[in-house]
This record gives sequence, C-alpha cells and structure tokens, in this order.
Amino acid sequence: MSLMIDCLPGAKWLGIFSDRIASTAMRVFLWTSLCLISWSARAAADGSPGYFRDVRPVLQRQCQGCHQPNSLSSGLDLTTFEGFAKGGKRGPAFRAGSPAESLVVKYMRGEMQPLMPLGGTAVPKDQIEAISAWIAAGAKNDTPKEATDTISAANPPSYSQPPVISALAFSPDGQTLAVSGYREVLLHKADGSGLISRLVGLSERLNSVTYSSDGKLLVTAGGTPARFGEIQIWDTATGKLKRSVTLTGDTVFGGSVSPDGKMIAAGATDNSVRLIETSTGKELQKIGNHENWVLSTVFGVDGKRVVSVSKDRAAKLSDTASGGFLENVNLLRGELQAIARHPSKDIVVIGGEERIPYMYVMDRPKVMKIADDTTLVRKFPRQDGVIAALAWSGDGKKIAVAGLSPQVNIYDADTGKPVASCTGHKAGIYAVAFNPAGDRVATGGFDGHVRIYNSASGELLKDFVPVPLLVSRND
Amino acid sequence: MLRTRLLAAISFTAFSFPFAQAAEQVTFLRDVAPILNKVGCTSGPCHGAAKGKNGFKLSLRGYDPEFDYQALLYDLSGRRFNRSDPGRSLMLAKPTQEVAHGGGLRIEPGSKYYQTVFNWIAQGVPFGDPAKDKVERIEMQPPAVEMAKPGLEQQVRVVAHYLDGAVRDVTKEAVIASNIPDTADVSADAVVKGARIGEATMLVRYEGKFGTVPVTVLNPKPGFVWKALPQNNYIDQLIDAKLQRLRIQPAAAADDATFLRRVSEDLTGQLPTAEEARAFLADGTPSRLKRSRMIDTLLARKSYVDHFTLKWGDLLQNSRKYLGDKAAWEFREWIRESIASNKPYDQFVREMLTARGSTNENPATNYFRVTRDAKPTMEKTTQVFLGVRMVCTQCHDHPFERWTQNQYYEMTSFFSTVGLRPGFESGEEIVYDKRDDYDVRHPKDDRVMRPKFLVAATTVSLAPMALPDGADRRKAFAEWITSKENPFFAKSMANRMWSYFLGKGIIDPVDDIRASNPPANEALLDALTKDFKDHNYDLKHLIRTIVNSRIYQAGIETNEWNESDNTNFSHAVPRRLNAEQLMDALTQATGVRPAFPEVPADTKAEEFPDPHVGKDGFLDLFGRPQRESACECERKTDLSLPQALNLVNGRTISDAIADPAGRIAKVLIAGADDRALLQELYLATLSRTPTPTELDRGITYLRGGESRAARAQDLLWALVNSKAFLYNR
Repeated sequence: MSLMIDCLPGAKWLGIFSDRIASTAMRVFLWTSLCLISWSARAAADGSPGYFRDVRPVLQRQCQGCHQPNSLSSGLDLTTFEGFAKGGKRGPAFRAGSPAESLVVKYMRGEMQPLMPLGGTAVPKDQIEAISAWIAAGAKNDTPKEATDTISAANPPSYSQPPVISALAFSPDGQTLAVSGYREVLLHKADGSGLISRLVGLSERLNSVTYSSDGKLLVTAGGTPARFGEIQIWDTATGKLKRSVTLTGDTVFGGSVSPDGKMIAAGATDNSVRLIETSTGKELQKIGNHENWVLSTVFGVDGKRVVSVSKDRAAKLSDTASGGFLENVNLLRGELQAIARHPSKDIVVIGGEERIPYMYVMDRPKVMKIADDTTLVRKFPRQDGVIAALAWSGDGKKIAVAGLSPQVNIYDADTGKPVASCTGHKAGIYAVAFNPAGDRVATGGFDGHVRIYNSASGELLKDFVPVPLLVSRND
Repeated sequence: MLRTRLLAAISFTAFSFPFAQAAEQVTFLRDVAPILNKVGCTSGPCHGAAKGKNGFKLSLRGYDPEFDYQALLYDLSGRRFNRSDPGRSLMLAKPTQEVAHGGGLRIEPGSKYYQTVFNWIAQGVPFGDPAKDKVERIEMQPPAVEMAKPGLEQQVRVVAHYLDGAVRDVTKEAVIASNIPDTADVSADAVVKGARIGEATMLVRYEGKFGTVPVTVLNPKPGFVWKALPQNNYIDQLIDAKLQRLRIQPAAAADDATFLRRVSEDLTGQLPTAEEARAFLADGTPSRLKRSRMIDTLLARKSYVDHFTLKWGDLLQNSRKYLGDKAAWEFREWIRESIASNKPYDQFVREMLTARGSTNENPATNYFRVTRDAKPTMEKTTQVFLGVRMVCTQCHDHPFERWTQNQYYEMTSFFSTVGLRPGFESGEEIVYDKRDDYDVRHPKDDRVMRPKFLVAATTVSLAPMALPDGADRRKAFAEWITSKENPFFAKSMANRMWSYFLGKGIIDPVDDIRASNPPANEALLDALTKDFKDHNYDLKHLIRTIVNSRIYQAGIETNEWNESDNTNFSHAVPRRLNAEQLMDALTQATGVRPAFPEVPADTKAEEFPDPHVGKDGFLDLFGRPQRESACECERKTDLSLPQALNLVNGRTISDAIADPAGRIAKVLIAGADDRALLQELYLATLSRTPTPTELDRGITYLRGGESRAARAQDLLWALVNSKAFLYNR
C-alpha cells in the first residue's frame, strides 16, 4: 500500500499545468502512465469491480493492440475511458446497467462474431464477469481525478546516469546553449562553464530545441514515445512556458520556427507535418504529403515554404499558406532524418540512412523530368554511420554532419572539402549546433556528454555532462 | 538541502521501481537478445520482417545482435530506452502493453524477463564483450532419447556454454522443434512426447547455435524375434544393426527377375531385353555371384555412361539455352568421357572449377557459362558438390544452420575473378581470370569480402582459411573442396549416389545437408563416405558397393515389423521410371523408337543432350527437368492424372504398339504360338515370364475373338499400363 503514496496526495503538478493541457484524455494518460505500479497495490482494498482497477487492465492487455488511435480498428479507441464509452462503428461499447446488451461483453463471450480478441486467446471468464459486474453496477469511471508527479520546476529531475542528448541549440545572442534532458531543457552558458537554469516540462523526450530568430522564444518538439507529442514554447526572458501544444499519439520531431517567428513546423508519426501558429497554438495546417514518419523540417528564407524530410526517403517542399505539395526537393535514395538550411539562401542539406549528405537547391525547374537531379548542388563524402543531425553555420560557410559514426565531420559548404573532424564520442551523435559566430560547434548524443569544439580545427574545448548527477561517474 | 534532495530522489526510485535492486551485470549479448528472440520480437511476422514492423526493424530471429543493439539504442536518437527512468522506456512499455502495441502483450510486467530488461537499461545498456558473452556451444541433456513405447514423456535440458567458460541452463529461452511432430512432438518448455513408433529429431536453436536430440520411440508389441538375413557387405551390417535396435525386421532379397529389372534400370536406364532376362533367369550360378557379375556387366555398358551422363547433365544444367547448340553437345561429350573413363570424382570437379580458355577447346569451361555471375555460381557449386544451400545467407544468416551472411560473400569471392568474353567463333566464349575489378562487397556496409573457406581444412596447403593476395582463388577453392578433409564433399556424393538407388538420401533432400536435417543412419553415411574416399573418389566402386548390398536388392514386400518404416531402408520402395527411362522402356517393350528431328535416328531418350529435344512432349509431361536449377528436385517422378490419361489414350503408346515394324508384328510374323507370344511380351515388359494363371488368361483372351493381332496389341497395351511396368520395384 505504500506505493500509493506517490500518486494520491496533492495534484500540485497537474494543477500547475492543467490550463495548458489540451484534453481530459491527456490527463488520464498522464495519470495512468505515472502510476503504473500503484493500481495493483490499490486492488486489494476494495471488493466490487471498478473501471480503473479491473476493466482498464483487461482492455489494455487484450484489446489495445488494435483498438488504439493509430489503427482504430472498427473505429474504436480503447486507450481512454472516453473512447471506450463512445465506442466504434457498431455503437457504444457498453450500456450501463445492461451487461447482456453491452457489445464488449457480447464480443468477449462470443455471442457476437468474430470472437474478441480477434485471433487471440479468449479473455478469461472471471475477467469478463468483472466487466459485466462493473457494467451492471452502472459503469462508472472511477479513474482517480488526482495524480501526482514528483517532477516539477521546483523539483527538477534527478539523474543517476546522463540522459541521451537528442537536441542542442545556441541562442542567437551566443550567450546560451540549450540542451535537451529528460523532461527538461537545460540552459548552459555557451562555453559550457555552468548551468544557468532548467526548463522543466511534460515531455520525456525533446527531439529538437530551436530558438526563434529574435531569441525571445525557445521551441521544443518532442513528447513521450507512443503516448503523446508536444510542442513547448518557452519565454526565454522569464523562463516560463508560454504554451504547450499536445498533438498526436507519439512524439513529434524536427521542430522549426519560421524566420518571422509566427509559425512553428514539426514532423509527426502520422506522416504529417503540422504548422502551428506561435501566438495561439492553433494548428494552421496538417500537411499530409509524406508516406512515413516525418523527422525534420525547415522553413524557406521567406517563410512561405517548408521542407520536410521523412523515412519515406523524400524531402518535400510544401506551401505554408495552403499546405499544398509543391515538389520533391531530392531524388529518393535512403530514409531521411536530418535537414539544415543555408542561413540566407533557399538551399538545404539533407541526410539519413544512406550516410551521404546531399545539398539541394529548394527551387525546382518548371519542367521536371523523372530522375532529374539538376538541382543537386553537392554530394558530400559518405559518413561512417547513418546521419542523424546536420547544422549549417550562421555565416553559411560550414556544414556539420553527425550521426551514428563516433565523429562529427565539418565541411566547407562552398567547396565540399573537409575542414575538421570532431572526435571523442563513444557512440551515436544525435545533436549538433554551431554558435552564431560559427567558430564553435557543440555536439551531444548517446553517451550523454556535451562536447564543444573549435569548428575550424576540431579541437575539443569542453566536455561536460549537462545534468546534475546523483552519483559521480568516472566516465 | 542537498541531502534532502538526494533522499527524495532515492526514495522515488525505490518506490516506483521495485525491480531496481542490486542485480548481476546484464549484457545485451548474453541476457537481452535471447529474450527478444524468445518472446517473438525478432520473428518473421514481427520486427524480424525484411522491412521491420511499424518503423522498428530487428534482424530475423536475432541473427545479428550488433544490428539489433544499434536498432534498439540508436534509432531515432535512442527513442526506445530511457536511462533516466528505465521503467518508462518504450522498450518495456511496448511489450508489456502499457502503451498500445500491435504485437500485443509479450512480457509480463514484473516477470523475470521484465526485470532483466529493466536492469539492463538501469545499468546503462551495455552490449557485452563478444569474446566472453557469446555462446560457444549448446549441450543437450540427455543427448538422445529412447522411449520404450509411444505416449511417454521426457524433459530435455539445454545448456549454453559461453566463451568465458560460464554455463547456463537456457531451456526456457532455447527454441526447440520436432522435425516429425507426428512421431514425437516437443513442448515449448522442452518436454518431448512420443506419439507413435519411429524416429524424430528435436532441433534446438539458441543464439545462433544449433543442436539436435534424436528421439526413438520403440515398438512395444511383444513377440519380436530378430531373424538374421545374409549380409553382403558393411551396408547390410550397419542397417541391420539399427533395424534390430528399433525392432524392425527387414525384407529379404527380391527374386532374380525383380533384381535384374531393378538393377538394369538403375545402372543403365534401360530394361533388360527379353533375351537377357531369359538368359539371366536360366543361369544356374549361385544367385549372389550371378548378380554381382551382372552388376559388372552393366557397369561396363555404354548405356551406363548414357544414364549417368543424363544425371550430370541435369545437375550441371547442360542446355543449349545457356550454352548454344555446339557447346551443349560438347559439354555433354566431356561429361560422357569423364564417366566412360570412370574419372575420379575429385578430378572431375577440379577440372570444371579451374577450367579456363575457350569453350570450344575446353568444354569444362561451360560450367561457368550456365550461371555466369559469381553469386549463382557459388550457390550452385556449394549445392551440387557439398549439398550445402547457401542461398538464404545472401540476405541474412541461415536460420537453421551456422552459415552466415559474411560467409556467403566470402565464398562468392572465390568466383568473382571468373570473367567471360566472346571468342572468335560464333557461340564461343573465353573463360578468363580477371586482373582487377573483381572485389565482392558486403551489401550492408560495402566492405570488400576476402575469399574465405566455409570450414577450415588443415591439410590444404593454403590453410589458414583466408587466401593471400594474388593467389589463384579458383585453384585454392578446387583444392579445398576436393580435399579429403572437406566434411561435405565425399559425404554429399555418397549420399546423392545412395538416393539414386534407394529412392531417397540417407540425408534427404540430398542437397540440403545441415545440422537440422540429420541422416537416417549416420554410421552408414560415414562408412560410405570413408569407403568412397579410401577408393580415391571411385564412383563405380561406390555404385558397385551399394547395388551389391542386400539392402539394395531387398523386396518391396513388407512384414508386420517394417510396414510403417519409411526411413530406415528396411524394404524397397517402388519408384516410378523417370521420363527418359519410361520412353526407352516403351521402345524396348514395343520395339519402336520415336523419332526426333534434332538427334540421329535410334538415339535413346537417355542420350538426349538437353531438354530441347522433344520439348513439350511426352518427356516433359513425365517430369523431365528443364535444367533451370541445379537441384535434384527439379526432376519430377510423381504420377499425375494427365500422365495417366496419356498412358491410356496417348498416341505415343498406341502408335508404338500398333506399329507394323513393332514387336507384335515381328513376333506374329515369326509365327510364335500363344504361349511363346505371351512369354515374349512378359519378358519384354516386366522382365519375367508369366505365371500359369497369367498364361491361361492371356491365352483365353488371344483366342476369344477374330483379330489375334489386335488382341495381342491389347495385351501389350495392358502390360505397359500396369504399375509393374511403370515402376521400378
């Protein structure tokens, strides 16, 4: 029973954020995921079957594989109470007070065909009986309203190991280096000499961290894998979360801010690119041109177009005003993960599975032919691993390539010649960023260290773990 | 303040994650990968599929742990695990169905597997040391199971031995399956249950290591008394030994007539003539000596050469489709000469594998023209001469054998230097050795694969396995493959040859030798292999040994003890004559040979150079292979409805029977009486004289109407449509 203590008292944490959390479903989600252990402890206390204790686990184990937001078999979503109550194509899944007339019971008993779970082992009788009893007793949603989370701005995450670093960004004034952590963004002094502050939020993973060009906003794209996606918009002056936009059932990727700061783009696992209005959080466009997960985005110089890269191998150019598809920027080769744009020109560099960075002009000739690759500006050398991150220096002169190879390579953007190699990482590098002056490059990845290099020589200037560790580690 | 924070953090951890107790060191290699395989993550329909599942791909059945480790850790910036809060890792949330998972519940929260994965993440996801954490071998306890009767059970244990010397019981994680579940099945937790009398093999797989447990379910029926039969050679001794243990009484040797027909078809592809049959049956020499002499007579015949030339023509895919007219004839001639001179098998193979120059001058070069590219050439070479199928390893490690994808490309690179260019004459090509641009690259990472033998052979002068730069790759390969130390070369041929005479290999299919396809009688195969090597790959010796055995000469009749045995060669099994044999047998029976424009008149079907002769006709209907593959399985010897209809109604037979120059006409013109006519017909078709009943009925039929000739033709038609004629029995 002691386990319950973590979850029951005080809704401080949810209270703080509740005005920003979009839906009730979201809240249930959070609660259930945060208190996984406690419900089983709670079970012993009460006799009559309840939704949270008895019904939800059955649905979760036997039904959610198909009846979930991503597949929605028969139009039914059983990951939330609301979805369960609403039902699918055949109507509500249960009728309170009448278990015999409730679809969920009839399907599980085989009174309606096909027997559910489809093709799986039948639900044990006692579990069906528990569901029946719960429906007979009125089918109440007894999901506890309150939840608690020990992590908050006042009580930021503690770390026993360095978390994987998935995103990095220098502020436009060159003073701050923002680093992704677990449930937070850590703001460090740009030279790595100290932690300034911590921006604690909801998302476990931040797949990208981006400053608006005026430096006033810090935008993250991330979420909690297989649970929800979130775009956070932070006010850099106050360190307060201005807005949280939750979207999709999985994390979002590769967020970017339009040059005028008015729009945010991010890629999603539903194969869409979402355009969000920065000031309101309103979704402006859901662009569905890709056929697989969209992993990164970048706006054109004038903000009227956005390029997105996807596991479907394409870099697609879309119109931000209409969401319409304009062109494929590239010839399709391997899956794409990363994209970066020249600071002042509509030229992008893309990379991914094939390990070769390609530089393309965003504009395509009017008359296109199949396999036309005339807009390819440059092909860079093949890397030792899949490319996960790309950065273009603010002066437009250098391109940094990072990925599963244990080194970051820096190339001259104009000639394609190698400039420097930054070594010291043990494994995958997922984040790379130039400082505004372009003389420093910061990297981070699997080993949880941030490394700052001289971008001209590759000399390692600083190597630090961006999070406070509970126990000091030797590595 | 700091202390309070620390305490809070520690208590949070302890409360939320009761599994994070002090745990033994967990590594991906030793602990986590086997769980992924066991719970099905890496299976073919799930993340092991060629394209993965839902954006997450693992190697099929976990054959490539490095790849799986990278996929789990590095895909999408390490999305699947959470070092800060291990219990929140996607890698645990998905299989426990805490979040929606298309693959359903795979790991129970709180179970042993859950704890292991949790601890692994909590310990920082170490990969492990391949020099320590990999499985060296697996051991099965007991190594073999014998059950006194059906219905018994036996628990089998699987023990893994690691490279660092550690030993672990992995029965729960190992995959175990029966090759014949109808005889003995096995549960997921390795309890073997005998279902019926016979033998089966349990195939065990764990982390890329394979093992087998032979299971024997004995016949509990009382009253078995072993009746010893004469033993002609070691084949009989080794098979009898096993049959006696299994309480199976073998069939005795067949009679002389049956033997003569069987051995003539098997050695020469031809029926004995009526005169031969008559003479053999009349010969008073003791049967065993008489048979042995007949075997030598047949082995010395031209038709023996034709018969085995046909077999090699199939295996080496000799066809004008690949080689053109001239070369197809010349390649056939080269094979013929090799068989006629009883060229030692190793020399035969070596000459082909090292052949270079003009296809007109050195017909053995045609070996490389059929497959042309290094990869199919390697696949063909290993399948035909080693009985090893490498084809699945082109894309992934072999699922049921130890062969790896690396080995596929290492072996391929022995043939990548072979070049083909047009010669001076029409249809001529020159096989040469390339001097550059012959590197074979691994498809995954593009690295150059050096030639390396599949298994080491210590006496090969080029040991160790990898070749030095500039060495003649094909010469080295030929030396390796034909070495007496090669564990597959002689064995594969001994096994293949056995299948030609007994209907199936000791290992079957003959060209799929692997740990999970065990021999029906290992001692026998070993003895044949050793004998073949001891006689310097003398093919005629191998054949002579097999056909002189009592086992080969056994009858097809069964007794109460061997009637259910189909694996231990306790009785002969009727085999349908193959297409060419059947056409030649019809010629022999009717006395009329069908004509084909591509070959000289009076050419036997067995002598045809390739399947273009008589294409789409009788021969193809009866399963002649088109020589599209080097697999023995391309030749079909089943009996189908179209074939039966052709036999009953087809013109090949009816025309031949009624031919004015045919056997019936000749016998009638010679003035044979009814008895002589019937004897002639029986000897010409079934290689035996008619029984008194058959004689009576035949005479009654011949005298029952007006046209004696037409009635004689009817009788011949009935004989060639009988199973006794269509089958070699």
